[in-house]
Amino acid sequence: MPETIDIQLKKGVLGLCVLAVLARNESYAYEIASHLSDAIGMGEGTIYPLMRRMQTDGLVTTYLVESSSGPSRKYYKLTDAGRAALDAQAAEWRGFAAAVDALLEPVPVANAPLEEA
Amino acid sequence: MTRIEFLDRLCKGLTGLPPATLKEIMADYEAHFKDAAAEGRSESEVAAALGDPERLARELKAEAGVKSWDEAKTPSNATAAIVGILGLGALDILILLPLLGGVVGTLIGIFAAAIGGFIAGGVVFAAGPFLGFPGGIFAALLGGFGVMLLSAAVGAITLALTIWMVNGVVWFARLHYRVLKPALES
Repeated sequence: MPETIDIQLKKGVLGLCVLAVLARNESYAYEIASHLSDAIGMGEGTIYPLMRRMQTDGLVTTYLVESSSGPSRKYYKLTDAGRAALDAQAAEWRGFAAAVDALLEPVPVANAPLEEA
Repeated sequence: MTRIEFLDRLCKGLTGLPPATLKEIMADYEAHFKDAAAEGRSESEVAAALGDPERLARELKAEAGVKSWDEAKTPSNATAAIVGILGLGALDILILLPLLGGVVGTLIGIFAAAIGGFIAGGVVFAAGPFLGFPGGIFAALLGGFGVMLLSAAVGAITLALTIWMVNGVVWFARLHYRVLKPALES
């Protein structure tokens, strides 16, 4: 299973990525899914259970937008709790990424932020 | 796999969900196929990109179970949430079931005892004045009422404990599941 770490990493940050995408633009599930599958190579199917979970957790809400063709489309937007979660998780991610980057340096860097989380 | 085949398998996997939730989920996936078709993608390509419909159904079902437990703390919702999560294979059933069984048994025992105590207290309270309990009428009334109060308190505390425990299991499983699932997939 050579790709396990790769998949685990992506799965772990998928929620954060969705929050970040929605912070830029309110969007519908297909757009979010194709955006993320292009950007980080994430499977499209996972988006729907994830969106429902984030809705249950109160991070996003939905509203319907009339469409010129066919039924109206369901859009997602961040709630205040969603924005707060984005800030917290983004800080956590940056700290983690900086620590891993520092470890990947061939020579130890002075004052590397190893414990920033 | 065609669009119809995918939706059909998904729908079968979602049996048991409230009709409104089922309709919402099916509409989500139908819209996905429609949006993809508008981009010129083939049905089989989209179905493959979406993944295994049975697996998605299990995940959606578990999420719906957690949601109804969040909304109303009823025994049937607790069962639905825990069964849904067990369906994910997130918790090792062999390890967890005996433990869960023991805990559930103990809780049911305490509840039964509390209900029994409440009824016994009620009987003493109601019948005491006529049966000539030692200590007189007043002691029987007071004692009976006291036993009823005590039983109600024990019942309430156990209920709070039960709700807290189900929340704990749900929280743990969701946390665990996110880490475990990719390993199972690859």
